Amino acid sequence: MHIPENYLSPVSCAVMGAAMIPVWVHAVKKTNAELPKEKLPLLGAGAAFSFLAMMFNVPLVGGTTGHAVGGTLIALLFGPNAACIAVSVALLLQAVIFGDGGVLAFGANCFNMAFVLPYVGYAVYRLVMGKNRENTLQAGGIRPYAAAAIGAYVGLAAAALCCAVEFGVQPMLFKDAAGNALYCPYDLSIAIPAMMIPHLLVAGFVEAAFTVAVFALVRKTAPDLTYDRMLADTSAGKKKYIPVFALIAALIAACPLGLLATGTAWGEWGADEIAEIVTDGKALGYTPNGLETGWSLDVPMPDYALEGMNETLAYILSAIIGVALLLILFKLISIPMKGRRKAS
Amino acid sequence: MIPAWMAQSDTYAPPRDGGAFAMRTLRSVGSALARLQIQRGRDGLRIPPVIKLLLLILGIVTLSLARNRLLLLAIAALVLSYTCLLPARTVLAVLRPAFGAALLSLVLFLPAMLLRPAGAGNNWIVIGKVFLSVTMVSIFNRRTQWNRITGALRKLHVPGVFVFVLDLTLKYVVLLGGLIADLLTARGLRAVGRDRHKYRSVGGVMGVTFLRASALSRETWEAMVCRGFTDDYKGL
Amino acid sequence: MRIIELDHITFSYAPDEPPVLRDLSLTVEAGECLVLQGDNGSGKTTLFRVLNGLSLPQAGVYRFDGEAVTASLLKNQRWAKRFHKRVGYLFQNPDVMLFNASVREEIAFGPRQMGLNEDEITSRVSDCLALFDLESLADKAPYHLSGGQKKQAALAAVLALNPEVLILDEPLAGLDRGTRARLVQLLSELRQAGKTLLIATHDDMLRSSLDARVYTLERSI
Repeated sequence: MHIPENYLSPVSCAVMGAAMIPVWVHAVKKTNAELPKEKLPLLGAGAAFSFLAMMFNVPLVGGTTGHAVGGTLIALLFGPNAACIAVSVALLLQAVIFGDGGVLAFGANCFNMAFVLPYVGYAVYRLVMGKNRENTLQAGGIRPYAAAAIGAYVGLAAAALCCAVEFGVQPMLFKDAAGNALYCPYDLSIAIPAMMIPHLLVAGFVEAAFTVAVFALVRKTAPDLTYDRMLADTSAGKKKYIPVFALIAALIAACPLGLLATGTAWGEWGADEIAEIVTDGKALGYTPNGLETGWSLDVPMPDYALEGMNETLAYILSAIIGVALLLILFKLISIPMKGRRKAS
Repeated sequence: MIPAWMAQSDTYAPPRDGGAFAMRTLRSVGSALARLQIQRGRDGLRIPPVIKLLLLILGIVTLSLARNRLLLLAIAALVLSYTCLLPARTVLAVLRPAFGAALLSLVLFLPAMLLRPAGAGNNWIVIGKVFLSVTMVSIFNRRTQWNRITGALRKLHVPGVFVFVLDLTLKYVVLLGGLIADLLTARGLRAVGRDRHKYRSVGGVMGVTFLRASALSRETWEAMVCRGFTDDYKGL
Repeated sequence: MRIIELDHITFSYAPDEPPVLRDLSLTVEAGECLVLQGDNGSGKTTLFRVLNGLSLPQAGVYRFDGEAVTASLLKNQRWAKRFHKRVGYLFQNPDVMLFNASVREEIAFGPRQMGLNEDEITSRVSDCLALFDLESLADKAPYHLSGGQKKQAALAAVLALNPEVLILDEPLAGLDRGTRARLVQLLSELRQAGKTLLIATHDDMLRSSLDARVYTLERSI
């Protein structure tokens, strides 16, 4: 579910990042009130756990494996607010240190996986468990696990839906002069089923199974470490949930609106940009005959790409790229030879 | 006295059943740990990490905003010429994820390109941008040690609390990742047959990891208190 | 019969690091008891990892029961599982071996993997619990046991697989005197039953009461 760089427009990335700021502020405030004193190390531990949980290969049928996000699980163990921060930190590490998920798309990835997933997952868990907190702690039997499974499944589905919407609005909002999509090329009618079908049929169950498996062990061996217990022990936990849910609802409602709003604004502030498109129009516009021959050749740098540019500069740049690619190729070829020399 | 069955040796013919999930997790956790640990300090051009981080962000933003093909070509030339100056193994390490990401994008965009050939040009640009931005991030993280990255964030006046959590997280990733790897290895040595309860093992490994994580965080906090920490997270 | 044969083994963790094991040759007969000694960092644990197929030497051959243990052989699931069934390994740190919800489940993991029926599993588990007097802890989470109890639970879980070769990394470390004596007694019974034992230990009592051959690892650096 990690959105890579450049699938979303920079504007969408900025909007999603802005949407996360109040969420983070809220989560930090709440965490301060809820978590025991050792909160900072605990957040670090939660983030590390989240990072590793996302790397864990969960067994599926017939020897295949899949990945869980673990957002709901972390909410069950650390609470949804701490989970939001922990997953955000884990996503940041993945983006900056491991190149998983875009750096600019960080806000959008956090929105889906650090905000929607843990809060929705945890809310559904509470809903299934019922209002009474004492029950939650003492509940035996299958109910807490069923609640955790449903929470994880619904949470992941909600996150996948948000992701699909973010993809799906791209071609509606961000097109070039010729009406071609600049970023993700699939609109909602394709993005939603393409994201939702695999998530509802496979990934949701993986998420649920992973959540229940880990939650069960922790509940059996150290029930005092779950968030339910933490809540019961701190007076801060007694507060109502309404503000959180109100915030979630408001943000979920506002976000597509925000996207649309900036979408129209994009057309306006993009006046310079439109001018650029117009002046560069011949370069960027789609001369159909040039296209069909150009792209069918699987050359990394088709001739037409240079068309209409400052030709000398373009050729110099292409030459640099060509030389660099050749050098890279030679270096890669030399690796096995070096290895052999060392071994002998 | 040892029981009778222990005094004999069993004849045992194991079934064929893969512990694929454990193997794959071991591999991915192992490579992450290797990345975090075996970053030896050869920093190449000796650019301060703060500048590197700023350059990376600048590069990614520029690339993402760039619509002019000449500009895209210039960025490609810059990134690739830097790449070709790196040692061969680093080049491989840098380009492998980049090619992976670009290939995945190609597969994802292929239906759109076939359905709407007119839009294919833009799709190719996105694929190229994906390739270049993953290359940039890879170059950055292959050439910078993570402890310097957190140092760089500190210099950028990112709040100390945040950097502290990030630093701790990286340390815990190394500790807990090692635990996961060991648990899965030890489990593998005893997983000599068909596993009907795979999820019990998954829950066990990650559950124990969680328990260890909370114990670690408590110990860290206690160590902080023993060294005179007074709940003042702002002063970190 | 030679069960373990190391032929000029060299192993290092990274290509540009000095090897931990250099040109090591060692033969262990089936039913023999070998005590491995050496300073910290002399490569005892590394050697045990090689013997368990967890690390492959860069040079030299490791033969188990006459067969050369290679990467491709270890990739063969059926062969690897049989190999791991025959060789039991007690890690130096028992924490990494315990991942089940109760001690009972922990011990039952191996027999259950082997596909034994429920009665056999129950009897193996209770036999193994009895060997270490762990009955009262059977339903506790291994995570909450003390260090010594963890070591015993881990060894019980290894013995439940009834391996022919037992590789024990510091089995006595951290145990109280009574538990040590009982463990030494258990190990000598296993030796009498024909198991091959390889033990890394600094304990002289264990060596003399098992009448073991001593092999000392020198630091290779």
